[in-house]
Amino acid sequence: MPERVLNKICYVEDDEDIQRIVRMSLERIGGFTVRIVGDPMQAIDAISDFQPDLVMLDWMMPGMDGPTLFKKMKEDDKTSKFPVVFITAKASQRELDELRALGAVGAISKPFAPRDLPGQLKELWNSIP
Amino acid sequence: MSQSSVSTTTAPAVPITGSKSDSDTQDRDLLVADRVEQLYSQLPVGILGSGAVGLLATYELWDKRLNELVLWWWGSILLITIVSAGLYFVRRRSALKSADSDWLRWLGMSALASGAAWGYAGAMFFPQHTDEQQIFLAFVLTGMVSAGISVYAGSWRIYAIYAAGTVVPFTYALASTGNRLFLEIALLVPFYYAINVAVAYRLNQVFDTGFRLRLDYGRLTQDYSRLNQRLETQLVELEEARRQVEASGRKLALFAERAPISVIELDVEGNIIQINRMAELLFGYIATEIEGRHSSLLVHDAARQSYLETWQRLVATLKPVSGVKFTNVRRDGVELICEWAITPLVNTDGKLLAVIAQGQDITRQLEAERMKTEFTSTLSHELRTPLTSIIGSLQLINSGVMGAIDKDVEELTSIAERNGQRLLDLINDILDIEKIASGKLELTTEVCVVGDLVSEAMVLNQAFALRFQVSFRALGEFPQARARADKKRMLQIMTNLLSNAAKFSGPESAVEVSVSVADGRVLVSVHDRGEGIPENFRNRIFSRFAQADSTMSRQQGGTGLGLAISKRLVELMGGRIGFHDRVGGGTTFWFELPEVSDKHQE
Repeated sequence: MPERVLNKICYVEDDEDIQRIVRMSLERIGGFTVRIVGDPMQAIDAISDFQPDLVMLDWMMPGMDGPTLFKKMKEDDKTSKFPVVFITAKASQRELDELRALGAVGAISKPFAPRDLPGQLKELWNSIP
Repeated sequence: MSQSSVSTTTAPAVPITGSKSDSDTQDRDLLVADRVEQLYSQLPVGILGSGAVGLLATYELWDKRLNELVLWWWGSILLITIVSAGLYFVRRRSALKSADSDWLRWLGMSALASGAAWGYAGAMFFPQHTDEQQIFLAFVLTGMVSAGISVYAGSWRIYAIYAAGTVVPFTYALASTGNRLFLEIALLVPFYYAINVAVAYRLNQVFDTGFRLRLDYGRLTQDYSRLNQRLETQLVELEEARRQVEASGRKLALFAERAPISVIELDVEGNIIQINRMAELLFGYIATEIEGRHSSLLVHDAARQSYLETWQRLVATLKPVSGVKFTNVRRDGVELICEWAITPLVNTDGKLLAVIAQGQDITRQLEAERMKTEFTSTLSHELRTPLTSIIGSLQLINSGVMGAIDKDVEELTSIAERNGQRLLDLINDILDIEKIASGKLELTTEVCVVGDLVSEAMVLNQAFALRFQVSFRALGEFPQARARADKKRMLQIMTNLLSNAAKFSGPESAVEVSVSVADGRVLVSVHDRGEGIPENFRNRIFSRFAQADSTMSRQQGGTGLGLAISKRLVELMGGRIGFHDRVGGGTTFWFELPEVSDKHQE
């Protein structure tokens, strides 16, 4: 369990409606500081700039999908240290296992319940060794 | 026993010769029969000769002094002749069925009578007549004795009796004349008699040999014809077998020719011997162009290595392989993905004769499967994304974090959220069913405490049950029994069973849940106090889209897929699912999973 309390969360997601719902859920229910990134191509810069506690990646995005972005983050010294959680509607168990092996913290399946999302994230945060 | 009765035993399966003692007795009987036959066939000659010589002798010996005696003698000769002729005719007409030994005895008596009659002539007339007549008589008697050899040649004993009948009285008469010359002749006569009998005996042996030879020859002929018959039968059978083989060969060829799959016959080296019409169409070659060429011609370069390895393994193990996919190549270079069943044709000695490859083009099928998977995955994403927004927004409103809202509005947003959730459940169920149908459902199983999962499911579904004013109650404490299960899917199964029970129990009732262990199985039961399962619904309750009453589904929700999915999930975890009526009304739905004991834990 990390020593710090989970606070800053960066979410990379292309769908604007879901961006808003997640922001409301995380800010109002969870009380987190949230930064949303709509374009995965700019995610690396935005994340290194924001220095979040946790990064949430959508799986399917135009331009670059979540797993690819995740691998890029791992290759980049500026972003390789941030723990990552996937938000996915379609990943198979095998794909998730592969990403876990690469260092992903976990996955939350879509559609998620905004009511429960902050709790789920805290649980995953606490599971980080 | 006659020869014809032997031939009735003719049958292909019988050994050619019987046992030794049997055949010896048979032989003796057959020899006697032959001898009797031969003797009787000679009888007319004897009768005619005897009659003629008797007449001549009567004429020559006619004498005024003795004519009564001569007449009486001639009468007895005539009588013997007639009796012998009668004997002959009786036998020829088969008027009397008697044993061969009897016929022999009667002939013997007739021969003795005949011989004695001539002997009487010698004894009575020789001393009384003139010298010339004595010479005549001596010639007649000598002739009769000699002629007897040929008549009675079949049996030297009968001849001996016959000749003795003639010679003994004549010799006696010669000896008693007192004449020295006649006495000397009388001494010679028995000697001649002995020589004659010896000749008859020798002849007899020759006859015997002849008879035997004939018998053996007959038997040989019989054996030969029996052998021939057997050969003929075998030939017919062979011909029939050949016809059958030909017919089944034609049938097989027809099967291959008209089969809707490609059939290729290969030799032990992998060269093409024969291809059927479907294979011609598939690869674009005519049979005659490709027959004799190596089968790797039909395999794409990239797949050739794997094909040759498969071939080598097949030839080495002689075990058929099926379901193997190769990238084949058509004559025009187009790649085809084909699925093959390759079967070695092995004879009874385990020698490889040929190899039969049956295959079909599954390129389009694979493409269709790929598109279906892609479609399902896209559908899954495209449907869930808007639902995430809809349900998420409504949930945020209903959770109250956006501030207090009007009661009527809240009721409406709750309805919207609930139905959004229902739509999502339906999509999830349909995707699950699709995955199950295509065999793509993946389970992540681990050993877990079944009771804990059941408790978790009860907590998770409590809110849902409250909407129907139903509560969940555990029957007793759950045992710590463990089973290998997919936790997420276990919760899904329990959710299906619990929500069904909640929906169909009346308000203010309790759904009871129990977990027990028996015979190495962990049994989970959900008991309700509903109206029970209608009789006509019982056998299709686990089918897809099964709902007892369609108005019910609109009122209570549910997709009609839950139980079908649950059944498949339980089966994938190695368990069983079922239901039974509950004593006192209601239904118990149960499922069981194999228990993992400490010993079997991984």
